Amino acid sequence: MSDPDTESYSTSPAWSDVTPLPTNPGGPNPLAAIAYAPAYEEAMSYLRALMAANEHSTRALELTEDVIEQNPAHYTVWLYRASVLFGIDADLRAELEWVSDVARAHQKNYQIWNHRMMIVEKLGSPEGEREFVEEMFALDGKNYHVWSYRQWLVRRFGLWGERERGFVEGMVERDVRNNSAWNYRWFLVNGRESEGVPGVKDEGVKREEVEYAASAVAKAPQNPSPWNYLRGVVRASGGGLGELKGLASEYADLTRPGGVRSSHALDLLADILADEDKNKAGEALDALASTYDPIRKNYWEYRKGLLGLPAASVA
Amino acid sequence: MSPKADDALDNLLMEKAKIVELSDSEEGGPPFPGSHLKRDVHPLPPWLTSPALNLFPEEYATASSDAFKKVRNECLPHLLGEDNQNLPLNKYGLPHLRREQHINFLHSTLGNLPAPYVALDAARPWLFYWGFSGLTVLGEDVMQYRQRLIETVRPMQNLQGGYGGGHGQFSHCAASYACVLSLAMVNGLEEVNRNTMWHWLGKIKQPNGGFRMAENAEMDIRGAYCAFIMITVLNLPLELPPSSPARHAGLKTFDDGLGEYIRSLQTYEGGIGATPGDEAHGAYAFLAMGCLSMIDAPNKIIPKYIDTSALLRWMACQQTQPEGGYAGRTNKLVDSCYSQWIGGTWALLQAAFGAGEQESSENVWNKQALVRYLLTCAQQPGKKGGMRDKPSAKPDGYHTTYALAGLSAAMNHYHYDTEAPTRSESGRLTSGFNWSGKSPTPEKMEKLGVEESDLVGYVHPVYVMPFKVVENFSTKFEKGGFGKE
Ligand SMILES: [Zn+2]
Repeated sequence: MSDPDTESYSTSPAWSDVTPLPTNPGGPNPLAAIAYAPAYEEAMSYLRALMAANEHSTRALELTEDVIEQNPAHYTVWLYRASVLFGIDADLRAELEWVSDVARAHQKNYQIWNHRMMIVEKLGSPEGEREFVEEMFALDGKNYHVWSYRQWLVRRFGLWGERERGFVEGMVERDVRNNSAWNYRWFLVNGRESEGVPGVKDEGVKREEVEYAASAVAKAPQNPSPWNYLRGVVRASGGGLGELKGLASEYADLTRPGGVRSSHALDLLADILADEDKNKAGEALDALASTYDPIRKNYWEYRKGLLGLPAASVA
Repeated sequence: MSPKADDALDNLLMEKAKIVELSDSEEGGPPFPGSHLKRDVHPLPPWLTSPALNLFPEEYATASSDAFKKVRNECLPHLLGEDNQNLPLNKYGLPHLRREQHINFLHSTLGNLPAPYVALDAARPWLFYWGFSGLTVLGEDVMQYRQRLIETVRPMQNLQGGYGGGHGQFSHCAASYACVLSLAMVNGLEEVNRNTMWHWLGKIKQPNGGFRMAENAEMDIRGAYCAFIMITVLNLPLELPPSSPARHAGLKTFDDGLGEYIRSLQTYEGGIGATPGDEAHGAYAFLAMGCLSMIDAPNKIIPKYIDTSALLRWMACQQTQPEGGYAGRTNKLVDSCYSQWIGGTWALLQAAFGAGEQESSENVWNKQALVRYLLTCAQQPGKKGGMRDKPSAKPDGYHTTYALAGLSAAMNHYHYDTEAPTRSESGRLTSGFNWSGKSPTPEKMEKLGVEESDLVGYVHPVYVMPFKVVENFSTKFEKGGFGKE
């Protein structure tokens, strides 16, 4: 309602033809019963009545807005709102603006992203969407639903160009440990294999990705994101992890004191050595278990077991 | 007592705890500041000793590393036993499991809730499920809620099939899942209209093999897990109803195309995302693995669709140093709910390795570290009880239940019987029913640092509820079909 303080649905002439459907609370003593505010309780009873009649109208839109403002996690109201919007041919640009406001006020809410997807699909244009998504990332650079939505935008509208690459490089630049951004980079590079765009199976693309990740490792060697990325790149390219031996050795040199600057490099080196020299691989795994990553001691010993090597005798 | 007054009491107790500790350490005249005496009695595990705490000092700070530092600082005093929050300690120097307080807390989540809980108005079935599941892990009988639950969920069931989050709400996978499992826990499954449920599930099965959460709602792996819970608990026909949109794509059964869909969720990191392309995330690892484990024996079906050694590596890496709990994604923060999402996935992954390796890989992850995180950092001190994401968070039903389930994954051992049948005579998928649990030996308890009174019950690795309940519904509706409905 435009002014809920002074007006209620029951006294408004615009709603006099609707018989509200009160909540069935579920017996005399329902579990986890919420003491609804009267305004919410009333709005919901009118909403149930409209939904029962499947009414598509401007007032239905206003009512859903009222309920969503009180409870943005109400998936039913979002789904009903979408059907009303399309049913009355509402202004979808205005809808997007309103949804943006809801998103800003309720960052964790995820219903809005499916809603937004339906609206933008109907509009058939991604105009302004990437800018809005970036505004949301300024608040939380790891919001799972927002990243998923961004992937949908790119797939749906074929936005695979330079702008996306620049965007995700900016995100990694801002926080090299933002794993969501790394995952998104993977998607941009490899997300079109089914359309015949090769991704890291192309030698040049692979080299570029390895170089990019290596430069991120140089900034913060103990950051797992680029290490995971490197493993992924080499594996997906059809190559062997041995291609990364130089890099891994650079950050995991067991032969000199202070030579291990990253447990992830040592982990990778252990995998590489497993194909070359099992005992050396065992030494790397021992070093991880005893010194560089003791919380995962059991895992490193399990890996030794897979190589047919006994666990280290000293705890 | 009002929540505010309760908080005040918590603060008071915490202040008191600090005073006690201060006088403790001064009395003995220790050569170093801090509570070194306690450390001598209970040596710290290797990952909490100073060499491990000072590995790889990061010079290059970003928002993520700042957040790690903050969480580490709030957890370390509890992990090291410097601040026990006035909780009584067991003989290993860890806080006891606060059974009574957690039980009271979970009961309170099922009671009357004030107006701000309107945010949960579409998620109340979750509260029933979390409450019941958590209470039963702690050994409480929930049959006292039987009649109330049955009456509460009755208006949530829709004529066209399925349950919504409340009266007049659209049917939704999560709500249906939570209502069906809650009903199962109080032996009330007769309330469910199996026939309409089957038809409704047909509407949300998609041509690509996956499931939507509701008609026109988002599609991700949650939908598939919830659907297979309903199909196996209620013994619904595996054939798609004639009206299912997935039939237009040539699919004939609920599991058609699903394995391939799940395969497409595994990422380059080895973990599993919500939808193809999404980042690997602990909750989706559990849901994907749980879903597959309902369709066939884990040792048969999981290796077919999942690169298990890549998943294993990813899961092992999510245990955070030095906190010892799990983070949900690479470079995210420790959070007690992932004790279930990742801790609970271990049993499924180990079963995927087959009969012999199932046992030999039993100790691949650090159970002691998880138990220590949960007992020292995740338990809410003070009168309130309940468990929380991390010390700076407030307890809630979700974290209480999944932290307890994680404790169960660490303490108990679950075994899949690879010889057991995976189909019943009526065609029901029965692989989810072939699990058994084993309590820890005294040696294992000592290693974990827990006493008898700290132990929690079994949590079924697929259905996340008591084994007894699973046993009950596994023989219910045995004929299949929709006879009298
Ligand atoms: Zn959590």
